[in-house]
Amino acid sequence: MPQPNIAAGVAFEPQKEARVAPATLGAAPVIDLRGLSVRLGNREVLRDVTCSFTGRTVGLLGPNGAGKSTLINTLLGFWPASAGSARVFGSDIRSEAKKIRALIGYMPENDAFISNMTAVSFIRLMAELSGLAPELALERAHEALFYVGLGEARYRKLGAYSLGMKQLAKLAQAIAHGPKLLILDEPTNGLDPPARQRMIRLVREMRDSREMHIVMCSHLLRDVEETCEEVVILKQGRVVHYSNLEDERRSNRRFLELELQGDSDLFVETVERLGCECAPGALNRLKLVLAENVEVADIYRVASEQNVQLRRLNFRRDTLEDIFLKAMENTDGRQ
Amino acid sequence: MSNQIVFDNVSKFYGDVLGVNRVILSIPPGITSLVGPNGSGKTTLMNLMTGLIRPSRGHIRIFDMTPDQPERLFRVVGYCSQFDALPKGLSGYQFVYSYLMLFGYDATTCDELTWRAIDLVGLREAAHRKAAAYSKGMRQRIRLAQSLAHNPRVLILDEPLNGLDPLVRAETIALFRSLAKQGCHVLLSSHVLHEVDIISDQVILMSGGYVIAEGNIQAVRSEIQDQPMQILIRCDRPSELASRVFREDHVVEVRVHNDRRGLLIKTSKPDRFYLLMNKIALDGIRIESVAPIDDDVNSVYEYLIGTEEVTR
Amino acid sequence: MAVNKRTYRGYAGALTPAWSRFLVLYRFARRTQFRSKVQTVFFVLCFFFPLLCLLGLYANSHLSVFSFLGQRAGPFLDINGSFFLVYLSVQSALSFILTAFIGPGLVSPDLANGALTLYLCRPLSRTEYVLGKLSVLLITLSWITWVPGLVLFFVQGSLSGWQWMANNIWLANAILWGSFVWILLLAMLSLALSAWVKWRIAAGALLLATFFVGAGFAQAVNAVLRTKQGYLFDISRLVSIIWQGLLRQRGDPPLPVAEAWIAVLVLAGLCLLLLMRKIKAAEVIR
Repeated sequence: MPQPNIAAGVAFEPQKEARVAPATLGAAPVIDLRGLSVRLGNREVLRDVTCSFTGRTVGLLGPNGAGKSTLINTLLGFWPASAGSARVFGSDIRSEAKKIRALIGYMPENDAFISNMTAVSFIRLMAELSGLAPELALERAHEALFYVGLGEARYRKLGAYSLGMKQLAKLAQAIAHGPKLLILDEPTNGLDPPARQRMIRLVREMRDSREMHIVMCSHLLRDVEETCEEVVILKQGRVVHYSNLEDERRSNRRFLELELQGDSDLFVETVERLGCECAPGALNRLKLVLAENVEVADIYRVASEQNVQLRRLNFRRDTLEDIFLKAMENTDGRQ
Repeated sequence: MSNQIVFDNVSKFYGDVLGVNRVILSIPPGITSLVGPNGSGKTTLMNLMTGLIRPSRGHIRIFDMTPDQPERLFRVVGYCSQFDALPKGLSGYQFVYSYLMLFGYDATTCDELTWRAIDLVGLREAAHRKAAAYSKGMRQRIRLAQSLAHNPRVLILDEPLNGLDPLVRAETIALFRSLAKQGCHVLLSSHVLHEVDIISDQVILMSGGYVIAEGNIQAVRSEIQDQPMQILIRCDRPSELASRVFREDHVVEVRVHNDRRGLLIKTSKPDRFYLLMNKIALDGIRIESVAPIDDDVNSVYEYLIGTEEVTR
Repeated sequence: MAVNKRTYRGYAGALTPAWSRFLVLYRFARRTQFRSKVQTVFFVLCFFFPLLCLLGLYANSHLSVFSFLGQRAGPFLDINGSFFLVYLSVQSALSFILTAFIGPGLVSPDLANGALTLYLCRPLSRTEYVLGKLSVLLITLSWITWVPGLVLFFVQGSLSGWQWMANNIWLANAILWGSFVWILLLAMLSLALSAWVKWRIAAGALLLATFFVGAGFAQAVNAVLRTKQGYLFDISRLVSIIWQGLLRQRGDPPLPVAEAWIAVLVLAGLCLLLLMRKIKAAEVIR
């Protein structure tokens, strides 16, 4: 079934580990970077980045100043590459920047609107600039606004919009012309919880529609965890880690996370005697590594004997937070 | 001297528009999170506390001071707004230093305190660059440094973690924790509910200008009497588990989850239920996961505030 | 009954030709332009003088019109360079006012809230963006400067015969280029100001200032330094010198025509430079 999808992952030149996934024959990578370096002023912001994506959604992570925005700006053709090459859908960004931009939808992190225009005219303008005929642009503008959930508000001026509505309008202008690659920069920035859930839901729907590829840049690891299949972590202009979250989730069945109510010290002692490793985690939880011959039922037996309540229990994979922190550590230790 | 921040029946109206209505609060030291949708009155509450606006009715007391004594108040209070605004042309160092001078410290003390604050937020290398050249996260941090440079006992921070990458978030949270341990009041507002869960001692939920819940999250939840606890259990034989569990009188509802491998169990006596689970797990049913889906800010938020449409 | 689920649909169909994208900007600006009643009325009033001229031309040729006055009348208008100089002066003043209406609001709304990034992340280069904004002013101002001017010329030509037209074709040239210099200069100046000054009214005021203060400054410089070079700061005078040259007027212009041309081109270049500095998709501050 989805074999090609798993095989099509990320092939990248090892900085530390060699995790070269076999590329799918005949599928041009969505984004292909080879030795890309970008220099701004006298600072080298991106150094020798080599990476290629073919998956549906990629999360771009990294501390501030790691070069995420610079990478995005370079792909959009705003900054020239000082060395190396970058290809989007097979077109080189140096020579075919316009062709690439026609295929991209971009949702910037900062405010981006014209306060005196209504949402409909604004989206329509953007769609027409992307090459749609006027009536078609109007149609698709309405469709996009309907899809993101801006109802009657679409006839009001953008200057009067709340933050959540402005974010949705930004998303609508990014998708109105039907791009093949959507770049989202901090899409849930400043949104309150219901608005954030709506945005995440929209991104998931667009991902599942299989009509486009999505690159999402975010500081909220939870957002990336809930929407992305692959994750690339940048630090100081280099790629320091790549993960395929699907694979990670599927593996790792031996880690347990428990929340106890009762005498935890005795419980930990008993469980450790069975051969399992225990470590305290966040929020009074317990991280457990099951030994070879130990099953969940055995843990429950211990709990039953000691009248301890297992209020929470789940198999843990290395959540994105751990992956991220590990990736940061590794590179620091390497100095 | 009291160590509480007290709101005594405070209301604030902007003309006809409601800011906050009849707020009664008594905030102890520690980390208190202010949670609520945009427009619910969080910023109004913070501005009232710092005296940037005056209440239409009611009184506010911070320790033994009132917010209309800024000379006394701001020696004890530090404030960081949500707006990403910095004076033009200043470097990070100059920004913090110049505000410290307003307190009347001499040059050496100002310099010391400035560097101390800058080190706390980890911006030493960038301190002499122009603040306008900072990235978003760095700007957030320098403003934080400015708000705590004078060692305030009360920190009022409007969305302080906005724009910070995960590492810096963790460091900043650790900073707040250490301040709270020293007995400070740290009042912050946030939209990231699972973080609020991890870091707060108290939570204040606001909606539409009203404080609809406040206190420790577990306590708030247990006060919402009319909702029994919901627990999601994944196992390999859900129907068998369901029948076993249904025999108990404290189990109010059992629903099969969408993916047909999970059961959503509602029970009014969670303690008894968990002890029962210990026995059931030994009877051959393989438990894959147990998760109380209610027990956090997210569920309280959803229950009390709900999921409103963004477009009103 | 089928339930239509609301899903996302891609688009892979035909696109408009790439070269025509800058006209989209013109179309959208035109929509907002004529929303203002004052502007529309003023625009219509700008045609009043050309219409008057047209009537004058007609009356000039068909003197029988005046027969009702009872006297014999002769041609009272000499359709030559001076006539069109007057015409250009009037219409250029009106176009200045119209630019003060339209110009300031062209680029500043795009810069005020970061919308420029969205423009430039599309297959639209900076040049096309500037061209698009320029075309708003150029097309509108053309309607009230050289278009009626050429109409007047051809009407006169049809009234006076083929020979007159052949002899005076340089007039048509002069009208075209004279107008063009003026409207291009106005457009570049107002666009540059619109990009640098955020507040519309301030940009409009600055536009007026550039002309009037410039003129005053020119007089001051001339008086103090006892020279004529001060006129380099007086934009309207520079352009009228150019017109006088184009329209073959006798009389001694205070500055050589070539110098005036160079000054004007330098000014236009300066405005372009200033404009391009502001039109950037992403800012980097050091």
